[in-house]
Amino acid sequence: MGVRYFIEPKLDKPDLIASWPGICNIGLVATDMLRVQIGAEPLAEIEPWDFFYPKKVVIQGGVLRSLDFPGSTFYYARLKTKDVIVFVGEEQPADGARLYAEGRKAYQIANLVLDVAERFGCRRVYASGAAVALSHHTLPPRVRVAAGSEALNREIRTTYANTLLMSERRGRGDTGSITGLNGLLLGMAKKRGLEAVCLMGEIPDYLSTVPLPYPRASRSVLDVLARILGITVDFGPLEAMAAQVDEIITGIYDKLPPEIRERVDQRKAALQPAAEAITEEDEKWISEHIDELFKKGGGRNERPT
Amino acid sequence: MNDRPSPLKFLARPELDNPALIVSWTGDTGGLGGRVTDHLVSVLGGRPFCEIEPVEFWPFDGVAVEKSVIQFPEVRFVAGGRRDLAVFQSPPPALNWYRLLDLILEAAQQVNVREIYAVGAMVSLAAHTSPRQVLATFSSPQIKDTLVGYDLGRGWDFETPPGQRPTLNSFLVWAAQRRNMAAVALWVPVPFYLVSSDDPRARRRVLSFFDERFNLGLDYAQLDAEVADQDARIASIRASSPEADQALKKLESGDTLSQEESQRLAAEIERALSDKSG
Repeated sequence: MGVRYFIEPKLDKPDLIASWPGICNIGLVATDMLRVQIGAEPLAEIEPWDFFYPKKVVIQGGVLRSLDFPGSTFYYARLKTKDVIVFVGEEQPADGARLYAEGRKAYQIANLVLDVAERFGCRRVYASGAAVALSHHTLPPRVRVAAGSEALNREIRTTYANTLLMSERRGRGDTGSITGLNGLLLGMAKKRGLEAVCLMGEIPDYLSTVPLPYPRASRSVLDVLARILGITVDFGPLEAMAAQVDEIITGIYDKLPPEIRERVDQRKAALQPAAEAITEEDEKWISEHIDELFKKGGGRNERPT
Repeated sequence: MNDRPSPLKFLARPELDNPALIVSWTGDTGGLGGRVTDHLVSVLGGRPFCEIEPVEFWPFDGVAVEKSVIQFPEVRFVAGGRRDLAVFQSPPPALNWYRLLDLILEAAQQVNVREIYAVGAMVSLAAHTSPRQVLATFSSPQIKDTLVGYDLGRGWDFETPPGQRPTLNSFLVWAAQRRNMAAVALWVPVPFYLVSSDDPRARRRVLSFFDERFNLGLDYAQLDAEVADQDARIASIRASSPEADQALKKLESGDTLSQEESQRLAAEIERALSDKSG
């Protein structure tokens, strides 16, 4: 179990921006889009075999030539304002059918990620993910924030528009959790004395189990990350993806029972204060009918690639 | 992961002379691997000489029960019948796959294993009466050359299709490569409608390879009787079900079945075989 370095660049207190798959891959899509747009170069990779089941074998002439595993890759870039390390985990090292890593493997891989970041002098870690919210898919998603300290929360909340603290959620009190490695990484970063910030793009509760990306929320996260880094990014690719997904979501939404749609629509008029959660029965109905909602969409049932 | 005590527990030091190790995963497709190694152990003799503590490899959030029988993973090496052969038997792990494969290879190196054979089945769309070509995946061109005289499919190309994952045996061959150990994965076709029951023809096919490779002198009378018995049962199903007969005729002539036809045939044969064997 270890890390393979491709290069050992000298970096000046780089920020680490990390993401693994999660709900609708909101954080992962934002992070990977950032990586592409800043032209980040490969830096290192975590040796995968202790964490992952392989994803592809290549056999040529009867001889096993290669076995590919899900990647856990670090990239780096020197921006005008600061240096950055981007980590993209293709899968969480979950055992069995779970999406999220937990226990020993999660702890080990998070430690390895932080080891690499600290090796290059990193002092601040950003992870990104999703925040399931009582929102509406026609409204621009905001970015929820949870950080390692109140001071850091204040800094992010007051500096960057379209952010709000996780504890500002109505009806949920001051407690919550960030599931999987996108959360664990930050807890472990805090334990090491690093600054830790989680940026979570909002996704409406009724879409959180839909097996699609949610590029509108990824766009919101990328927007905050770009402002943090002081860079300009091209949102065109995410907007094109959002247009495709919007069409599918509209198809799903149109087929919700009227009483669920009515509850959801109340959110548009008066978003959070008067927002009414869909009920457990609503949620059950949606999850039981999700395949059906996709199938009957006519031209809208294709998933974006 | 290496900061814990090794789960490898040697119970005895068997008298082995650079043996081959035959690896099987019990409960795999068609139950093939487990049945093959069970057959070898019952015919050649032997007893467990090494175990691997299972705690790291299954969640142990309860216990599985099959046909009212409580199951618990046994992960063991067996030897003693011959000096040139050892067997590994285990259910496929649910967790920490590489760790288990690496432990298997570590144990193999401790008893100077010279080559490893992993037995597996692949689901076939052909009829049960079709000839079975055993495909082999080799860890190196050298071990491939060693087996040039045997009736194996040795020159095939393959890439895992999108949405699928490699098999545990491919993972084992790769892990063996990393240790510079010779390993071969054997793939025996099992018709899709026998996957959840048994395929004595596939067992016979892979056992005959081992017989030839290690001069085991196996007696096939019992296996041939099982093949004949299964053929008779399937013939009886064909006689009573024109639909099943038609589907099998299509398979025998090289045609493919629709998904619905395949499901109906598999259900009918599985039900009939399980009724009679139960």
